[in-house]
Amino acid sequence: MLRSVFGKSVHDLWRALVAWTLFTAVWPAFYISLYPSIGAVEEMQQLLDAMPPAIRSVFVSEGLDIASPEGYLNMELFAFVLPLLLMAWAIPVAAGATAGEEERGTLDLLLALPIRRSRVLAGKAAAMVWGTAVLCAGALAGLAIGAAAVGVGLDLGKVGAGVALAGLLALAFGGLALLIGALWGRRMVAIAVPFALAVAAFLVNTLGALVDWLDPWRPASPFYHYIAGDPLSRGLDPWSAVVLACGAVAAAVLAAVAFERRDLVA
Amino acid sequence: MSQPVIRTLDLTKWYGRNRGVEGLDLEVGPGEIVGYLGPNGAGKTTTIRLLLGLIRPTRGSAELFGLDVRRRGTEARRRVGYLPGGLRLYESLSGRELLDYFGSLRGQRDRALEARLADRLDLDLTREIRTLSHGTKQKVGLVAALGAAPDLLILDEPTTGLDPLVQLTLFELLAEVRAEGRSVFLSSHVLPEAERACDRVAFIREGRLVAVEGIAAFKARAVRQISFEFAEAVPADAFAGLPGVTAVRADGTSVTCSVAGPVDAVAKEAARHTVLSLASAEPSLEDLFLAQYREAADAA
Repeated sequence: MLRSVFGKSVHDLWRALVAWTLFTAVWPAFYISLYPSIGAVEEMQQLLDAMPPAIRSVFVSEGLDIASPEGYLNMELFAFVLPLLLMAWAIPVAAGATAGEEERGTLDLLLALPIRRSRVLAGKAAAMVWGTAVLCAGALAGLAIGAAAVGVGLDLGKVGAGVALAGLLALAFGGLALLIGALWGRRMVAIAVPFALAVAAFLVNTLGALVDWLDPWRPASPFYHYIAGDPLSRGLDPWSAVVLACGAVAAAVLAAVAFERRDLVA
Repeated sequence: MSQPVIRTLDLTKWYGRNRGVEGLDLEVGPGEIVGYLGPNGAGKTTTIRLLLGLIRPTRGSAELFGLDVRRRGTEARRRVGYLPGGLRLYESLSGRELLDYFGSLRGQRDRALEARLADRLDLDLTREIRTLSHGTKQKVGLVAALGAAPDLLILDEPTTGLDPLVQLTLFELLAEVRAEGRSVFLSSHVLPEAERACDRVAFIREGRLVAVEGIAAFKARAVRQISFEFAEAVPADAFAGLPGVTAVRADGTSVTCSVAGPVDAVAKEAARHTVLSLASAEPSLEDLFLAQYREAADAA
């Protein structure tokens, strides 16, 4: 396993990843298994229908049918919990990628080897992507198994699209954490700033649906590209996926450029 | 003339408004061990990190094997083994796993040499690094640096944490490296260890090179203090005018001389009296720096 920077990162992360994947699988499985026992689904739908559309859009995207399992998942899981679970993995891992080694003092020895800094960064970024993909697979498996266990018919294609977009969203903020860590070498900063921006992006997208002057800003929010296209009822919008993936890649490339040029802290 | 292994030209590093190093012109040739001496904070580690491309110079340039470290650093570092000061290793790996990892990233390794080095240093590579003492971690770092048989070893305070016997082994290993025509650049703030190991020494103080010279010339000029206890009172005048004597203090039957270079004249003068005891103190590195610094200031 210790043959590359990617392999070393996997070696360091796999135990935590196993635990986090279990968590990320069990939580959605638990939600979906509750679905048939919510006897009041119809009352909830009526309540939602009675709400002003603006208020309703805070909880779910407009026009979503809560009576379907996908609609229920959209509100309970995809609006906030799943992105949070994935970001809670991707952001700290990315923040620790170079900044963690820099703070622990192991980076000098690593970069004194005949290896380019951008290669080190790429290996660590790949480990973040790998871990996020495993988590997404875990979440989807949890949903599929949970739905099958309680006899709920779930459109796994659409749910998979939602999970994939959530993964790309987490990678976009992970890329940002990578960039900040590469620029300043401080792990806590590289965790705190992307999380704060994620909350801000969530609010811009959600409140933008309610507040006119904020509405034009919604496309600036990664959350808009993640959820506004309503992947759970409409399936994967390739354009949304491309926007999020480009964000993640751009941040990682900037991180590599910044990292190549910077004086490392001893 | 063969190409220098290390060459810096006007190498300068400022951290904002704080001086790192200033105008370093330094050369290390093949097959020599050069000691880089200076008090803590003088700029030794800054110089080394500039050579390895970990930080970038404010001005000037550094070359390893004729390759500019900023433009062709990766290529140059293929031939370099490095031991950082304040060494930190991956705590969760064993020594062997660490060598596996670094060997893979280097794309070259010599397991037999690593095993031999570990054996010479009495190091168990199977143990997890977090369980090792400070000195034993230092040994792992040394095997990692020496194990790739690099043409240049850059060692930042390599004897830190090593007990005296292991230090001796390290100096033997370095002498073997030199015998194979490879070079060593080691920093130290301890003079005797540099004297023992090095062919030449470079002094750095407050970011500037104060002197670079052969260790023999350096020893010849070193000012040491010699104290005599005589059976009878001896006046200071007896020693004051002797060659090499820079200061004399007499107090009844005891006399202390500061002597630069050979002590022959002082020894012969002392022998005319009944000597009860004598002690010779090596100058402290700090004293030498001050002396060197004054000379440099006078010359300027």
